[in-house]
Amino acid sequence: MKTRDFADLSRRGFVTGASLAALSTLGGCKRAVRDSKGRVRLQLWFSLGGRNREVLLEIVKRFHATQDEIHVEPVYQGDYFESLAKLRTAIAAKAAPALSHVVAEVVPYLARAGTLESLDGYPGMREIPFVGPLAQSGGFRGGGERPLHGVPLNRSTPLMYCNGEIFAKEGLRAPTTWRELVDTAKALTRPGERWGHEVPISWWFWVALVGQAGGTVFDESGRATLGDDAGVRALRLWQDLVHREKVMRPPPGRDYDAWNVVNQDFLGGRAAFIWTSTAYIRYLEDNARFPVIAAPLPKDVRASVPTGGTFFVVVKQAPDEEKAAAARFLRFFCETEQAAYLSTRTGYLPITTPAVAKMRADGFFAKHPNDEVAQGQLANVEPWPWEPLLFRIERDIVDPRLEEAVLLDRDAASVLGEARTLAARPG
Amino acid sequence: MRPRAPIHPWLMLGPSLAAWTLFVFLPLGLAAYESLFAWDMLTDPVYVGTANYAAIAESGELWRILGRTLGFSVLVVTGSMTLGLALALLLDRPGRFFAFVRGAIFSAYVVSWVAVALLWVLLLDPDRGVAAAALRALHLPRVGFLTDPHAALVTLAGVTVWKITGYAMVVFLAGLRAVPQSLHEAASLDGANAVARFRWVTWPLLKPTAAFVATTSLIVSFQAFDVVRIMTGGGPARATTLFVYAIYEQVFMNLSVGRASALAVVYFVVLCLLAALQLRAWRSQTVGRRA
Repeated sequence: MKTRDFADLSRRGFVTGASLAALSTLGGCKRAVRDSKGRVRLQLWFSLGGRNREVLLEIVKRFHATQDEIHVEPVYQGDYFESLAKLRTAIAAKAAPALSHVVAEVVPYLARAGTLESLDGYPGMREIPFVGPLAQSGGFRGGGERPLHGVPLNRSTPLMYCNGEIFAKEGLRAPTTWRELVDTAKALTRPGERWGHEVPISWWFWVALVGQAGGTVFDESGRATLGDDAGVRALRLWQDLVHREKVMRPPPGRDYDAWNVVNQDFLGGRAAFIWTSTAYIRYLEDNARFPVIAAPLPKDVRASVPTGGTFFVVVKQAPDEEKAAAARFLRFFCETEQAAYLSTRTGYLPITTPAVAKMRADGFFAKHPNDEVAQGQLANVEPWPWEPLLFRIERDIVDPRLEEAVLLDRDAASVLGEARTLAARPG
Repeated sequence: MRPRAPIHPWLMLGPSLAAWTLFVFLPLGLAAYESLFAWDMLTDPVYVGTANYAAIAESGELWRILGRTLGFSVLVVTGSMTLGLALALLLDRPGRFFAFVRGAIFSAYVVSWVAVALLWVLLLDPDRGVAAAALRALHLPRVGFLTDPHAALVTLAGVTVWKITGYAMVVFLAGLRAVPQSLHEAASLDGANAVARFRWVTWPLLKPTAAFVATTSLIVSFQAFDVVRIMTGGGPARATTLFVYAIYEQVFMNLSVGRASALAVVYFVVLCLLAALQLRAWRSQTVGRRA
């Protein structure tokens, strides 16, 4: 009997102890807004690597040096798409950080879902002198009339990069029209040794071609037209370069793997001219053993480029103190020094007009003509539609079909027709 | 054996039943429910009935994924069984050298999938890889092992076979050791050569081992994810988008929980059908042996 009592006691004690432990663990899981020094803890989920990462971390360090009330905790979350998957899951689980950044096309989707904080009410946010086409106001159709949800972080456009040595040797200049693009690629291709042209087969560059062919991916009523005839012409241009002319290599790999292959082929002299992001200006200039000459993308019926890169977003469900801290960090980030620093070190476009003015006054553009070319292309920016389905249509419907159509030489009109049908469906 | 109280069997089954309910039946039920909605985790779900199933079936996506996954499984199961058996027969010999070779082949099995996939990405690089250098040396045309839509799935199957063949070999070796030597001696005395001894003595006794290897290889092939994620990301042109990867892609990349859930339900049904077929095959084999 005594033994039984002891056993009961032990069991009761075990259950009580376990319950207390569980409760204390739950308590430990509660979000601590302030750290042991009383500073607001601001988690920043980011997806930048290499030099871009170094620059972001340096800006965080500078921010810490200017004040002692907020401590930014940057956490790397993989590439843009992995990071977005994690952010969505964290928002659904009510465990998201206050500050993160997402690709431009995702902002309307997250805003429609009611997950983003409007930054209009935070001091000074509406007054930041952004470069129009790179901000929400000019980067999206009607973006200026909506609450401010996105603050530009690293913004870019597609750009053409030419191998200066090869072009000089062949006496050629950068192509300015689609016709010239085909002819130049033909002239510079050396079978088994070098491709004339290379570009990642992806949505972003196809959208650029659609714009150049005079189309838009969504019409004014919000219907996904995928450029209609212009979309087909854009896709056929790639198919012709790959299969008929045999002057372009569709780079292997998906997403940024393919981008990396394009860069490596260019640097290795295996591609004479490429299209990639302005974000790679510094990287390509620093690593090429030949002069890198940037040029605007060629025209078909007009000049057109989409914008790319990411926007900072503040998550609505985060505690108020963290959101206020995020807004304060963003204001610091957009100050001229920081905006110019990020641009000069990476190749991303400067996001504020004072930063552009400072870089010009410092003689940066005179010393770096490729950056001037990238600046000039901003006049041709085609804003994205403020369309919540934009990202799903890009990732789920168009991107995989572009690759299929180019690699397997499928009929461009029927591929895009099928994509349009799928885009009209709920998903 | 009769339980002392009717509740006892349930008490014994309780823990595993609870785990199964929590981690298998409940998520599966939820997936089946969510497959009836268009939902992205952030906005309110919209009831769409069977539209998600219709969408994946009508676009042909479902059949393509199913065909690819089954094709991949056939390659992996036949490849790992054939190679595993051949290696077991070849290396079932005493001596340190053979022990070393057996160990070397098995070592691939214990290496993580991520490491194996990364290693093969380097080896198969179309410009700088060992495979490309070998093709160049032999004056053979360049092959886009991971970049050609017609070659990529076969390449992934090859890498999977390379990784799991060591396991198949070890299981076959254990099976071979269980075959009584006296049967081989008797067959030899009756004039059977090596091929006849394998056909009439070894293989019939190895059948249960072969069935086990086939089952484990099938499971591995249907679970393939890491190798796809790292080596091809489902490309080129979706040529390597297998079932598990397609589900992942729908939910995490394309923000479509409903579509992913519909795929998961179909996948469950396919696995149930395969399991039923396999059970039937095993039972007929057992009944055959008893008869």
